[in-house]
Amino acid sequence: MSAKTIHKLYWDFEKEERWLNDMSAQGLNLVHYSWGTYTFETGPAGEWIYRLELLPGDVRDPKSQKYLEFMSEVGVQAVATYMRWVYFRRPAVDGPFEVFSDLDSRVAHYQRILTMFASITAALVPLTVVNVVNMTRSGSSLAFVLPLFAVYLALVATLATQTIRVWWRVRELREQKRVCE
Amino acid sequence: MPDETPGPLTETVFYVLLALHTPLHGYGVMKYVNEISDGRIALGAGTLYGALTTLAEKGWIASVPGSAGERKKNYVVTDEGRSIVLAELKRLDELVRNGQRVIREESK
Repeated sequence: MSAKTIHKLYWDFEKEERWLNDMSAQGLNLVHYSWGTYTFETGPAGEWIYRLELLPGDVRDPKSQKYLEFMSEVGVQAVATYMRWVYFRRPAVDGPFEVFSDLDSRVAHYQRILTMFASITAALVPLTVVNVVNMTRSGSSLAFVLPLFAVYLALVATLATQTIRVWWRVRELREQKRVCE
Repeated sequence: MPDETPGPLTETVFYVLLALHTPLHGYGVMKYVNEISDGRIALGAGTLYGALTTLAEKGWIASVPGSAGERKKNYVVTDEGRSIVLAELKRLDELVRNGQRVIREESK
């Protein structure tokens, strides 16, 4: 079993999920994740289906641990955890694999992701302003402040885009929930 | 015993309560619901966990010790859970009867 490491950064967990399942279809199975570093092991093509979940609390919380224990009892492996994210997988022979099967639980999951993105964005805006103002006051050259400001701005824009994307998804599902279960 | 019904149950809750008329662990519930719905419903493990936790908190199901040497938690429906299912069945029966009556009159 050989290993392969890929460095990549995803903002959209569903795109990430699709990529991991594409990799698995080629026989590259995620076995570890940390800080934008994915470690894969080779195996039979299409052996696993991968799903990501943002837990309500820290992975080490007793509540989260109880949940992960339940998942393993029903045949779902947690191959990696990263902050509140968990990378789950289940053998493809066990059939289609989804963590959430009804609208209520899917809305709740997107809502957690929305809250996370929104709070990071909200924290980053004043941080950007304070940093840029401080540096300008302390007489840092514009040649230094401007690129930094651009980086901050790009980060805020990315996070805001994600916040809006997930907010839209929550809205869509809520709309559906008005007539369906 | 509840004086009034809590309102329409979700499909997940209804089927989980039905499944637990025999004590089962999580995987058993998933398998049972998939079978009685002819494969239409594949309960997501996260969704099921949420339902089991909520129903246990409400006292509609209770956890029971698994068979000897088994670490997995088994669940079973309580008397309150049973009466909730009965009330829901009455409601569903009304829906089906009314639906069929209207459709039959229309096709006359």
